Amino acid sequence: MTLFDVVFKGNDAVYGLTEGAINDAIAKYGEEKAVGFPDTAYCLPCYYSVTGVKVTNLKELKEALGVVKTLMTREQKLNDAFMSGVATALCAEFIEALKYIDGAAPYAEPYYGHLADAIIRELGVPLVTGDIPGVAVILGKAPTAEDAVALVKSYQAQGILVTLVGECIEQCQSLGLNMGYGVRVVPLGADVTSVIHVVSVALRAALIFGNVEPGDSASLMKYTMERVPAFVNAFAPLNEVIVACGAGAIALGFPVITNEETFRVPKSLIVQKDVSKFNATSLEARDIKIKITKIDIPVAFASAYEGEIIRRGDMQVEFDGSRVDCFELVHNRDMSEIEDHHFELIGPDFDEFPVGSKQSIGYIVEVAGKNMQADFEPVFERKFHSYINCIEGVMHTGQRDMIRIRISKATFEAGFRAKDLAEVLYARIKSEFDAVVDKCQVKIYTKAEDCTKLRHEMAIPMFDKRDERLSSLTDETVDVYYSCIMCQAFSPSHVCVVTPERLGLCGAVSWFDAKATNELDPAGPCQVITKERPINELIGEYEDVNEAVRKFSQGALEDVSLYSIMEKPMTSCGCFECICGIEPFSNGVIIANREYAGMTPLGMSFSELASMTGGGVQTPGFMGHGKHFIASKKFMKAEGGVERIVWMPKDLKDTVAEKLNATAKELYGIDNFTDMIGDETIATDPETLVAFLTEKGHPALGLDPLM
Amino acid sequence: MPFNRKPQKFNASIREVEIGVGEKAIKIGGENVFPFYTFDGDLGNTPKVGVEISDLGLDNPVPGISAYYEGCTTAAEMAKKAAEMEGADFLALSLEGGDPNGANKSVDELIAVVKEVAEAVDLPLVVEGSKNVEKDSELLPKVAEALQGKNVLILSAKEENYKAIGAAAGLAYNQKVGAESAVDINLAKQLNVVTTQLGVKPESIVMNVGTATAGYGYEYVVSTMDRIKAAALSQSDATLQMPIITPVSAETWGVKESISEEADAPEWGSREERAIAMEIETAAADLMAGSNAVILRHPQSVATIAKMIKELA
Amino acid sequence: MALNGIQIFKLTPKKNCKECGCPTCMAFSMKVAQGALELSKCPYMSQEALDSLSEATAPPMKSIKVGAGDNEYTLGGETVLYRHEKTFVSKTRYAVSVCTDMADDAAEAKLAEVSKVDYERIGEQMKVEMVYVNCGSGASADKYVELVKKAAATGRTLVLGVKDVEIAKAALEVCKDGKPVLNGADASNYAEMSKVATDAGVVLGVSGANLDELYDTVAALEKSGNKNLVLDTTGATIKETFANTVEVRRAALKNEDRTFGYPSIVNVSRLARDDRHMAQALASVFTMKYGSIVVLPGMDYADALPLYGLRQNLFTDPQKPMKVAPGVYPLNGADENSIIVTTVDFALTYFVVSGELERSGVPINLVINDAGGLSVLTSWAAGKFSSGSIAKFFKEEVEGKLKCRKMIIPGKVAVLKGDLESKLPGWEIIVAPREAVELVKFFKDMQANGEL
Repeated sequence: MTLFDVVFKGNDAVYGLTEGAINDAIAKYGEEKAVGFPDTAYCLPCYYSVTGVKVTNLKELKEALGVVKTLMTREQKLNDAFMSGVATALCAEFIEALKYIDGAAPYAEPYYGHLADAIIRELGVPLVTGDIPGVAVILGKAPTAEDAVALVKSYQAQGILVTLVGECIEQCQSLGLNMGYGVRVVPLGADVTSVIHVVSVALRAALIFGNVEPGDSASLMKYTMERVPAFVNAFAPLNEVIVACGAGAIALGFPVITNEETFRVPKSLIVQKDVSKFNATSLEARDIKIKITKIDIPVAFASAYEGEIIRRGDMQVEFDGSRVDCFELVHNRDMSEIEDHHFELIGPDFDEFPVGSKQSIGYIVEVAGKNMQADFEPVFERKFHSYINCIEGVMHTGQRDMIRIRISKATFEAGFRAKDLAEVLYARIKSEFDAVVDKCQVKIYTKAEDCTKLRHEMAIPMFDKRDERLSSLTDETVDVYYSCIMCQAFSPSHVCVVTPERLGLCGAVSWFDAKATNELDPAGPCQVITKERPINELIGEYEDVNEAVRKFSQGALEDVSLYSIMEKPMTSCGCFECICGIEPFSNGVIIANREYAGMTPLGMSFSELASMTGGGVQTPGFMGHGKHFIASKKFMKAEGGVERIVWMPKDLKDTVAEKLNATAKELYGIDNFTDMIGDETIATDPETLVAFLTEKGHPALGLDPLM
Repeated sequence: MPFNRKPQKFNASIREVEIGVGEKAIKIGGENVFPFYTFDGDLGNTPKVGVEISDLGLDNPVPGISAYYEGCTTAAEMAKKAAEMEGADFLALSLEGGDPNGANKSVDELIAVVKEVAEAVDLPLVVEGSKNVEKDSELLPKVAEALQGKNVLILSAKEENYKAIGAAAGLAYNQKVGAESAVDINLAKQLNVVTTQLGVKPESIVMNVGTATAGYGYEYVVSTMDRIKAAALSQSDATLQMPIITPVSAETWGVKESISEEADAPEWGSREERAIAMEIETAAADLMAGSNAVILRHPQSVATIAKMIKELA
Repeated sequence: MALNGIQIFKLTPKKNCKECGCPTCMAFSMKVAQGALELSKCPYMSQEALDSLSEATAPPMKSIKVGAGDNEYTLGGETVLYRHEKTFVSKTRYAVSVCTDMADDAAEAKLAEVSKVDYERIGEQMKVEMVYVNCGSGASADKYVELVKKAAATGRTLVLGVKDVEIAKAALEVCKDGKPVLNGADASNYAEMSKVATDAGVVLGVSGANLDELYDTVAALEKSGNKNLVLDTTGATIKETFANTVEVRRAALKNEDRTFGYPSIVNVSRLARDDRHMAQALASVFTMKYGSIVVLPGMDYADALPLYGLRQNLFTDPQKPMKVAPGVYPLNGADENSIIVTTVDFALTYFVVSGELERSGVPINLVINDAGGLSVLTSWAAGKFSSGSIAKFFKEEVEGKLKCRKMIIPGKVAVLKGDLESKLPGWEIIVAPREAVELVKFFKDMQANGEL
């Protein structure tokens, strides 16, 4: 027998029962007898949601059953099985409705049966906010009463609403479990048909909260699938009726997890033999994330501690990457490789180190998620500094394998150990990056030999790989760019277009950062910009980019080029690291950085240049940019590229020399290009500068006129 | 040669939002011109004026306000009196007593006040929360529930609690949702986007894009509203076409110009006159920048601003 | 369309002679493009270049100077309709109105009131800049001149509201050195009025029964060579006045119709009549929407405090935030032993923080650092609010004045705590909450814990 056959058989059985029950009721009460549930405006809720037709009496119920029959097609196809599942659920609703005839109260303590509209309105809010992260439907008899209670409690602890159907209720009762709507454990009823009362909640939620039109079953199922985080835990043994009901649940998007060895349908019908793992399996299957509200460590965690300095005398232990092998790492893994919230300490804990000693440490935060990408690793990793510093009595500096951590005596004495460090990393990553991180576990290594080995064999190769990816990434090799409007608060019309080779002009937003920001906060300041319709490849003008710029500047800006400072240059806000401006007498550009307070050969200081260039206005010939953009091959590519640079402050020149020289070598075959570039020790007026450039044979002098 | 008029015509307009039920229900928004630019086109619904009362009664009132509410002992009595105020289009009930850092009244206690006030008046009702995001996410859904069928505007859902308040007010109980952001067009837009993603209909959203008293960083308010109206009308940005409500009094009555007694600042003259002027001049500026509704306290301010709107519209 | 710096540079002699006061021709060009310098400062511009540039760089709205000496004010010269687009450059100026129809003592009382409002707010002196002297119908020249003399005695710049050419001439005789505005031209008398104004060397105010008439009158005046004008946009009703004022400004700036490219006079006093509160509302309206001179029935502190605050905010450069002077600000009766809170000199930060501190009721010395007028995080990121700069400021300006050695720093720069402790030995550094609204509770908690 196929799974389909089982569903069909269960469906037929329930249909037969329903038909009999309705006929009996008509015989007993007559066709005009009213049917319905108390305290709901949507009678009968499930049938009404699916068909848009209300049922008020037995005659209409009988007609409705005829409609249900039409759903029960019998081809060996998924849709037939789903529809039969829905038909089974509707039959269950009819049977339950009959129980309420004549204002009967068929459910007595502890059973709830039908739930009123008011409860749905009340539940809807915490469901939408995630305060109730999920709805569990537990059905049947657990292997033991203890198993049942443990499972219920595990959900309860996560804030998940639990509904119970069948013998598990008695099991919980037998162990004295406190149940009731108030504690979010709702026993529905002893019969399997009482499961319809939770389905009814889900469907009415779609009508009330999803603005779904009754009868629009496609939208209905889309809503329950996307917005109602329910799932079913069905204990063995499963009969055909339960399987048919399960098909109905799956049709609504609710996965069924069971401990019976039965058919398996990926993501929908999942076999988990170990009942103690129902919770984890269910959460993963339904993609439910539990919010972390508190970090459970023995000392305080707050931004107020970010600037604490731990002095040598106050220090319990120190991990110093400049002396011994240390590293910190975020590692993207496969979902199956990670057990959420797992922590492992490999080596001695903090209390095993001599007071004031210098030790090795390596911590790896392993993450996994459906939307996780390896490109986010460094974005998360950069946050470690702030996370760890926010712990009272813990100081962190540096990054990658050049970290230093000090733990104060007071914090150590309060009981702070390796697991607490792991807990902070786990909790922060999970809450800040919950959009992409589904699972996270932390490993901390404290043995010197492990740290040495892992640092050289794992961490450094990963860092190198990332750097390589970053440097090999070009504007041409990606499909999209990103907008960034983080600074529109004070520069209303400015829009940064962030590309791999042109980071945000503040210097703080790389293409990766923008991409991560977009993924984490899709309605946020960084939006995807396509680049499918080039207008002029030389200056880097695209129709898509122009459209985006127009939209994000609210029409203040018409068009921009990515690679020219003369034609439609990108605008500048106020927070650029550097400004470049054309120096007409040498046919090149000078660059001034924010830190440079002196005069430039243009006759304007940085702040004068800034006042003319900022504010989101296009100023041909002048442009704000980040420091890293200077060595980019896209730096004023339209005007010839970096060989136009004729002057920059000495400190800036020293900072960018290595990369800039490499770029100049690659593009023009010039060695030690920075030696040809003037600085404030050489010239702060155009005449002296031109003389210097002439002496050095600077290439800009021979290029096409800039204007 | 006559002057060549060039009216600014837009294809887009601000959404119309109805608050309240019955004869006294009001509509705000609906314009497709800049604020009061009647010479360009249709102003839609004229901006509306609300009177603010508080669950805490009168706090450090000026004589004119004390006199106006003389004899009132409950919020409901004050509400009745406020509803009679000349120029009042709606009533705004502030639940500031819920602030955990202040009186910290319980949700039940406040809901009782809300119900009492709602029963006392037939003017459309705007309910302002405690300003504490955690408390509001508990309190305001209850308010939305308690006032089912009254079509009230709930102020406000913020970035931190829009889900709870938006879902309760906008979805579960069919009220209107106030979306409050901090004086930044992009934050306002983002909040509208996520609130509509929640399922709240755009026509159920009114924005509070942040406010300030004239002189206190007010330029940000002006630029934010100017830019929002421009984006909504000239760029047809549907995510910014919600009408704007500005709780003016909550800001203006807190600055030192409105608080200092005459004894502390004799050259400044009557405290009451100063407080009225702060309220009137800030409200007038808000309306010029694009507010579709303002919330005020003093009867003189309410009458003056209502008259000004009538004159300009 | 305005020219950019590069376009202007192309027309300069490119010799870096420095005679214009700029180190290079490029610097000069950029300043001209910004409107910070006149093109004529360059002695070597060719006539051809000047001609081609003056048309392109001519502002859409003229800058008109009124008043003399310390009371000289520039009106107009705006280039944008919204402050976020660039900057509003010329503040709205306020005039208090007196009229020959008023009883002598009432007019004198009003004039005496003019000087009462005079105070400083964030580095700006706030006062009534002008007096509008209206000539009621049927008033004699003597009576008017008498009132003008009294008004001139206030030392304020005058706006003469007079339609009679002879009376205007007589009035100007006694006050023309103060460069008043002669607000008296209309379709019926503009030629004569224009001559009176030109002869006296003063700005002429023009009005019309409607915008069309105003437009024609201005066009005729311009044709006759008088471009030293302001436009009285006051209409019969509030609604009409608002429409006129907006239409005139919009025509000039958006539609580049230079006939309306002049500053405006809005006579709120006439519109609000005796309704003082309506006058307040309208003062606000026409400060927001394009009044260059707004004429009010009076000005006391109640009128002034919000109005000048609004104007100060509105006319700030959106790229240059308002700053308060660095220094120690004692609050709630603080003395030298009171606890210290420190933050940046960004005016908005100052107002928000000082407001909350005042609400706390705790005696506090608020120390404002020189952080370039930027907000806490921005100035910190720009290195203008660092442990170094704070420590230096405290050593130089605070340690000598105050005895308390407890400093509360903004929560957003908690990272500075350690550095500050090492740079300021003997100081205890306490981190405040991240948001100012939490300060009241923060101090309440400190009090409860006996930390104050």
